[in-house]
Amino acid sequence: MSQAKTSFISLRRILIIARSTVTQLVRMKVFWFLAPIALLFVGLQYFDAFWYEGPEAAQPQQELQMHKNLCLGTMMLFGSLFAIVSTALLIPRDIEDRTLYTILSKPVPRLDYLCGKLLGVLIVIAIAMLVMDILLVTTLHYRTAGVLADMDDFLPRLGWGQDLIDAKKAEIAAHGPSWGLQFGILAHFFKAAIIAAVALLISTFSTSTIFTIATSVLVWIIGALQGIARDAFMDDRTLGETTSIAGRILGTLVSLLFPDFQVFESIAEAAARAQEILVLDVVKVSGLAFFYVAIYTVLSWFAFSDKEF
Amino acid sequence: MSSGLAVEIKNLVKKFKPSFRAKTIRAVDGVSLSISAGEVYGLIGPNGSGKSTTMKALLGLVAPTSGTCAIFGKDSMKVDSRNDVGFLPENPYFYKHLSGAETIRFYGKLCGMRGKELEDRVNEMLALVDLEDARDRRLGGYSKGMLQRIGLAQALVQDPRLVILDEPTAGVDPTGSRQIRDLILKLKERGITVFLCSHLLEQVQEICDQIGIIHHGKMVRQGRLEDLISLEDRTELILDQPSPELLEKIRALIASEEGSKLLSEGHPRTTLESLFLEETQ
Ligand SMILES: Nc1ncnc2c1ncn2[C@@H]1O[C@H](COP(=O)(O)OP(=O)(O)OP(=O)(O)O)[C@@H](O)[C@H]1O
Ligand SMILES: [Mg+2]
Repeated sequence: MSQAKTSFISLRRILIIARSTVTQLVRMKVFWFLAPIALLFVGLQYFDAFWYEGPEAAQPQQELQMHKNLCLGTMMLFGSLFAIVSTALLIPRDIEDRTLYTILSKPVPRLDYLCGKLLGVLIVIAIAMLVMDILLVTTLHYRTAGVLADMDDFLPRLGWGQDLIDAKKAEIAAHGPSWGLQFGILAHFFKAAIIAAVALLISTFSTSTIFTIATSVLVWIIGALQGIARDAFMDDRTLGETTSIAGRILGTLVSLLFPDFQVFESIAEAAARAQEILVLDVVKVSGLAFFYVAIYTVLSWFAFSDKEF
Repeated sequence: MSSGLAVEIKNLVKKFKPSFRAKTIRAVDGVSLSISAGEVYGLIGPNGSGKSTTMKALLGLVAPTSGTCAIFGKDSMKVDSRNDVGFLPENPYFYKHLSGAETIRFYGKLCGMRGKELEDRVNEMLALVDLEDARDRRLGGYSKGMLQRIGLAQALVQDPRLVILDEPTAGVDPTGSRQIRDLILKLKERGITVFLCSHLLEQVQEICDQIGIIHHGKMVRQGRLEDLISLEDRTELILDQPSPELLEKIRALIASEEGSKLLSEGHPRTTLESLFLEETQ
């Protein structure tokens, strides 16, 4: 019908495939995963009896921090695992059902197909993270308000002046919902996006889904441990030159092959501790995440373009 | 396109090496074939003879070990060659979470269609393959024949000039199979080129202009259907309610003629296929 030259890459086609991937995942009822998570987040509200020693506690903000840590940890685990499992399942499934034959026999370049699949997974993760984000912010908001009300009640009885009370309350409020917290969640999303791209790459040449999932989880763990390992090798340098050289070669090799999640971790940790996060750092980290995703997608494309079905 | 050939396959060789140790399989071994625009070409051959592999090479789903494939003069390894082709793979399954209408819409969009043009086309295709009643049902609940028909609709969505059908009637009941046959004839009337393979020789005989017989990856026989199967020196008469006297006269007449001989005589039988069709209408 259309005689126009098929472009090498088209945003429109990528969006069509992404949209169908989102529909596919949604209709596979993946969002039901969110139900137990929602229960957990809300349930944490009532979990303070064991931890929180009442307004007398020296650090009432610790209770808020516990809430954030648990919620952020859940979000990170869910996001990354979901990214790995869904990406690892999608392409083998298309091959098995021969859906891929019919898609690729339309004027659809293979790069478009890969980008579309990946984008679809990322959109679903983003939606899931957003829902969890809203839950976290809502529950944290009420919890912060509760702690602040306790302080209003308790501190005047200790005979604190209004200045001191306000300072204490500001310190506590910093642990409530904030932009910094959003940046932390964004860092977790970036990690999930990168690991999804890794799973995409592995699934283009692996012959089994289990292998793809296991390898991606391994890459994820190595990515998380890289920073720690590098620090260890840095310390080794004082011990002797030989280990240091071997270590440095190994370190370089690992950092070339595996993504390094340390920067993302440190932003997420700072967010949980309510430390200040610079917008510039967020921009840098976004660039890094984009770079990783792009690299892995291009590598997947190389592996996928010669693939036969 | 200047040559007017819809499909041109030259010396196609495709080897597979299933694993490191296994020896290579020559799935397709020096196949050449060309299909002129508007023809219906039937590729037949035993299981594993390389029919599907030839079709996949033509669609760029596998890369030829040597040789070339082209669709309307465009190399099959280029995405552009796929603008004008629709493909129905063998035993297709589609996204089972999509409904019939959504499936056709999805493929239409991939071909760059949109808006009202696309919606009209979706309705037209559903009507063509007789799935209007099932348009909003998910494909997970479709029967094999329905999947085959939605596959056909998907292949035809952008109104391609060439349709490649890998066993379009496999697993379809005789009524459905007859409908698909009629559909192919309709495509032929509209001047669309069809390249199909099938194990139902009777159907192939009914609809194809050109036949190729492939065996162990090699093209063993190729040509126009009439040339391949007609027995030019024989003639068949079928008479309705002939009287015994008339038959006797005919026999005498034949016997009196120098050089001609009556080879067989009997009641023609209906085919099992038409009997089944009659009974299941
Ligand atoms: N991806 C592949 N890897 C290894 N061998 C393959 C592959 N695809 C096909 N083959 C082999 O190539 C040969 C031809 O297969 P093909 O599917 O083309 O046969 P076919 O004529 O379509 O058979 P059928 O009538 O059963 O559909 C077979 O021996 C098959 O085992
Ligand atoms: Mg086959």
